[in-house]
Amino acid sequence: MKSKLIAATILLAALSNAASGLDLGKLLEERVNQELNKSKKTQPTDQTSATTQNTAAPPPAAKQNIDVKQLGFALFGDYSPEEETRIGKQISGNLLGAVPLVRDDKLQRYVNQVGNWVALQSGRKDVTWHFGVLDTEDINAFAAPGGYVFVTKGLYRRLNNEAELAGVLGHEIAHVTLKHHLKVLKQSSLIGTLGQVASSKAKSSDPVVQNLIGNGAEIMARGLDKNAEFEADRVGMVFAARSGYTPWGLPEVLQDLAGVPAKDERISLLTKTHPQPADRLAALGEAVDGRLDAVQGKELADRFYRIR
Amino acid sequence: MKRLLIQAAALLLSAAAASALAAPGTVLRDEKLYSQPSATASVAGSAAKGASVNILAKQGGWLRVSAGKSTGWVRLLSVRAGTGGLGGAGLGDVVGAATTKSDPSRVVAVAGLRGLNDEDLKQAKFNADELARLDAWVVTAAQARSFASQSGLAAVNVPALPGPKSKSKSKPAQESSSWESN
Repeated sequence: MKSKLIAATILLAALSNAASGLDLGKLLEERVNQELNKSKKTQPTDQTSATTQNTAAPPPAAKQNIDVKQLGFALFGDYSPEEETRIGKQISGNLLGAVPLVRDDKLQRYVNQVGNWVALQSGRKDVTWHFGVLDTEDINAFAAPGGYVFVTKGLYRRLNNEAELAGVLGHEIAHVTLKHHLKVLKQSSLIGTLGQVASSKAKSSDPVVQNLIGNGAEIMARGLDKNAEFEADRVGMVFAARSGYTPWGLPEVLQDLAGVPAKDERISLLTKTHPQPADRLAALGEAVDGRLDAVQGKELADRFYRIR
Repeated sequence: MKRLLIQAAALLLSAAAASALAAPGTVLRDEKLYSQPSATASVAGSAAKGASVNILAKQGGWLRVSAGKSTGWVRLLSVRAGTGGLGGAGLGDVVGAATTKSDPSRVVAVAGLRGLNDEDLKQAKFNADELARLDAWVVTAAQARSFASQSGLAAVNVPALPGPKSKSKSKPAQESSSWESN
């Protein structure tokens, strides 16, 4: 963080002081070109994968003009909000190819209302939040970059009140605001910026992004570092509490999950991609201790939408 | 008053139908048992990490448990539901081993009663129609606020929780708000 600030300061200084003896502008340009060449090299050249590349491959000739986004990635390694949304869309579209959404508009609308209210307390304003309940008995929840959050019907059915839903959504919202999946993608990929999207309203699969995320929605099966999960528990619990719910919704859900037999196949993916519920409870307990003793909040069991 | 009633009810119920109400649990860290669900209440006993308890009742962030001869309130986050001792990590390992081996019966698994697996996700093909459905349910910030106020929900100022590094005890006031503030 600090180094980014320093870099930004240097950049500002270089831009505002054209007479500077040291040619920082040149240095930056070289650095950016390095990044661009790197991404060029990673573009597959063999015929087989080129077939999936044709629609959205960035035009190589237009690289002379350094645009701000590319400069940003080269310096700071951050995806722009637009790029983040493209990545999230592709992951979500794939996930929805494996599991459809529950056909219940009232349920889906309700989850979006709760989710957006909790997301408002996250401070992240540059994404459009999309929430969905997946039609599977699997017990799990997923987040993708750009504000995509999914809960399975199997998990939703186990919830007892709106505060528990807020806790689960808070955990997933935290993954988005903390950019956990983007960090994984950046570590695993040499690709910098994604280039221009073929059309801003592109509804179809995005080959450039698909190339970045691997096969289908496998990124969801790989899971995150366990510390990212512990962090999302801490942050998500606070998001729910800031929304006026009792903070104990997420812990209640973890208590419930701790009681599901490990051999139950509906929980095996969650078990594989998350620390044990008991370890999550213990880690939360360390962080919370008595800090939330004075926090009151609502459970809202009456308003909780129950699946038929 | 209400609290007393709840406790009395819990006691009565646990005495009358102990098997129905009491659920087994495991203590996750050394804890005090309080006479009331509050850290300012008198201490009624203690429970050591790893001890088995019976969960008798629940109130907010507290569980009423019996541990051996003592009964009292303990923090919700200090107990895990279920038996099997601490962590349950052993069980997890068994599951992990079972799921990573290629079991032919799993290949036919689709999104149904048996849940999702790696293969389902890996083979998934982009579904633009399902993705487009999400747009119909998008809620604006104004709509979310209105939805919240309908049930009397209001934003509350709650400081961020400290990360694991501040384990070193007793400086919670400062660290609780600094770690995640940007």
